[in-house]
Amino acid sequence: MDWSTLAALTVDGLAVGSIYALTAFGLTLVYGLLRVLHVAHAGVYAVGAYGGWLAYTLTGNLGGTIVVGTLLAVIVGVFLEWWFYRPLQGKPPLVPLIGSIGLFVAVGDLLRILFGPYQQSFPVLPPRPILSPLTLPQVAVVGSTVLLFLLVYVVTNRTALGLSWKAIAQDLEMAAAVGIPLPRYTRMAFALASGLAGVAGILVGAYYNQIYPSMGSVPAYKALAVVVLGGLGNPWGTVVAGVLLGVIESIATAFLGNQFPPEGVAFLAMILVLLFRPQGLLASRIQG
Amino acid sequence: MTVLEVRNLSKRFGGVFAVTDVHLQVQEGELLGLFGPNGAGKTTLFNLISGTLKPDSGEIFFFGEKITHLPPHVRARKGIARTFQIVQPFGELTVLDNVLVPLAQQELTRLLPLRPYDSLARRKQAMEILELVGLAAWAHERARNLPLGLLKLLEVARSLALQPKLLLLDEPLAGLHLQESEQLLDVLLSLRGQVTMVLVEHNVRMALPVCDRAVVMDAGRVIAEGNPEQVRRDPQVIQAYLGEREDA
Amino acid sequence: MYSITVLSLLCIYAIVAISLNLVTGLAGQVTLGHAAFFGIGAYAVGFLTTRGLPFFLAWPVGVFIAAGLGLLLGGISLRLREDFLAIATIGFNFVVVAAFLYLPYFGGAYGISGIPRPLGNTWFFLLILVSTLAVMWLHEHVRRSDLGLALMSLRESELAAETLGVDVRRFKITAFVLGTGIAGLAGGLYAGYIGVIRPEDFGFPLSVTFLAMVAVGGMGTLWGPVAGAFLLGGFAQAFAFVYNYQLVLYGLLLALIMRYRPQGLLGRIL
Repeated sequence: MDWSTLAALTVDGLAVGSIYALTAFGLTLVYGLLRVLHVAHAGVYAVGAYGGWLAYTLTGNLGGTIVVGTLLAVIVGVFLEWWFYRPLQGKPPLVPLIGSIGLFVAVGDLLRILFGPYQQSFPVLPPRPILSPLTLPQVAVVGSTVLLFLLVYVVTNRTALGLSWKAIAQDLEMAAAVGIPLPRYTRMAFALASGLAGVAGILVGAYYNQIYPSMGSVPAYKALAVVVLGGLGNPWGTVVAGVLLGVIESIATAFLGNQFPPEGVAFLAMILVLLFRPQGLLASRIQG
Repeated sequence: MTVLEVRNLSKRFGGVFAVTDVHLQVQEGELLGLFGPNGAGKTTLFNLISGTLKPDSGEIFFFGEKITHLPPHVRARKGIARTFQIVQPFGELTVLDNVLVPLAQQELTRLLPLRPYDSLARRKQAMEILELVGLAAWAHERARNLPLGLLKLLEVARSLALQPKLLLLDEPLAGLHLQESEQLLDVLLSLRGQVTMVLVEHNVRMALPVCDRAVVMDAGRVIAEGNPEQVRRDPQVIQAYLGEREDA
Repeated sequence: MYSITVLSLLCIYAIVAISLNLVTGLAGQVTLGHAAFFGIGAYAVGFLTTRGLPFFLAWPVGVFIAAGLGLLLGGISLRLREDFLAIATIGFNFVVVAAFLYLPYFGGAYGISGIPRPLGNTWFFLLILVSTLAVMWLHEHVRRSDLGLALMSLRESELAAETLGVDVRRFKITAFVLGTGIAGLAGGLYAGYIGVIRPEDFGFPLSVTFLAMVAVGGMGTLWGPVAGAFLLGGFAQAFAFVYNYQLVLYGLLLALIMRYRPQGLLGRIL
């Protein structure tokens, strides 16, 4: 394998890893605040993709595609927080987890009923080379991810909102005691998480030029592994873990071909990591 | 006879010492008060003695036997019982079943212990304990429905079911009304002489006079030790408590 | 005949739901990989009977292997807090399915077919029925025993349990071995009943279904998991007339029950 192939694989892995990072970031943010595994997050991601696709098919406008897809994802995510997760606070974690899986199944199937079971093409980013050998979709995916995370960094580290999130994640009761209005802040966290998932959905649809109702399944499982590898509840660890997983998968699949069961091996690695570093591969400290 | 001996015990969290080089002896039959301001390391010391935390260094002896590295359930079966400052009831179980948990553990033998857990003899034994602490009327209520005062009594009842040789009480009076405090204190005083007890209590005014001996900790260290009167006059103790005089 | 076919499947689901209840409902250890053990029991019977071993010898072997791997998972569970445990069990499920797919001898994606049924239809149905009743009896016996009380104390407060003399490690592992062994038993019955097994039949979605059966019916009780198994297992049959909307209804049902009756249909207050 020569260097240019390796470089191409790395870039492809970076793009896929960016998508993992964007989805898993929201999952870990929500986990940090509410201590629930928000499996339906992957449904929000698919909703974003379909919203964007619908806007693109109707208007052909790139800006409209992004705005509609993201907004739709945010609305669905915030609705789920308001209707489902918030009222179930304090119940055993199993309860929101099972309901969340149910919601995920329902959202995917609803998309199938509304838009048909087949793939829809989503040619918003034609794969022409720019900055050869990089293609437009690759540059767009990696570029928007970097921009978005810069924005997220500013929000989480430079604003009162981010500070409050950190306080809540560290000690829920203490945060409530010093007067941080929890529902408002968790709702905003869901808005941010869902927005990122929506963008990720649009980007992945554009990257592969296709969307389909069950497109959330792979991220639903894989994001869980990413979140664990990054240290449950540790957002930046999750981002690093997501990007790394994308790159490693891309290169490993090229080397080992299709004989290689990616899910099985990814999860085997995850179990091993859990056994020897229960706080996650990249967590600097044990949280909670 | 020395029931418990703690030697050079230290425990750090991150870089911070929670318990530093603590020495402690508890004599058979006494009621030892363990006092100190918040963050003094009292609860950490209890966790180390009951085994839910492992020390970084130092040794713990129970009737002369080294128990430093034994798991908590083995220590419990040897007769070290404790209550929790934040009550830990088995909420979905009845009050009676809460007490049956430790009773059942003392008679386990087979690989799969499949005998019914509420045999008549065992229920009788549990009811006696509940009567002793004044919870008999609540025996068939689910623990989660009990008010805090009764849950604190339940903590004591469960501990007594272990037939403890040493009972560690972590702030049993915290959060209770005066009347509830008095009821619980009466129960504890009725056990006096039969069970060796170590009492951690924030309410020094109420607890100090009933103790046989007192130990005071501050910032992870033992700073004073002696009979209640000596301890109360110790300048270091007064210094440590200065910040919280009003509620002490 | 059709009703016996459906009833057989529902009884097998009920056995799995009861076995999962031992681990999750009584001992409080959330596991999302139970389908893997069901699959291990099924693959053991499929593999051995198609190579000539009688069903009644292959069946206990399957139980034994499932329980052995349950022992392993139980050991892993000792190191993990509840959310990590749930995710690790998901991972375990993926690893087992990958093993079915990629290890030689298991027939890859096509799985194992032509698994012989050891008895005539009526007798095999009776075998399933008797197994279901036996497992129900065992569940109740455990729940009322010293073992059951210890498991419930773990569920309620591990901290209190261990300081009251409960050997946390021993009882967690016991719960896993019992629960996974019985799931393997159900898997063996399933293989004999259905005749054809493929890796995808035992994936993560089935684990979710099993857990949903327990949670929807009501955890910690006997009739909860049984009712959940019949309700969710019978869902496909009952809603056959709205074939196109089955999955969305199923998902919504799970969400609505968890939202408005989190203790499950037959469970007590949570």
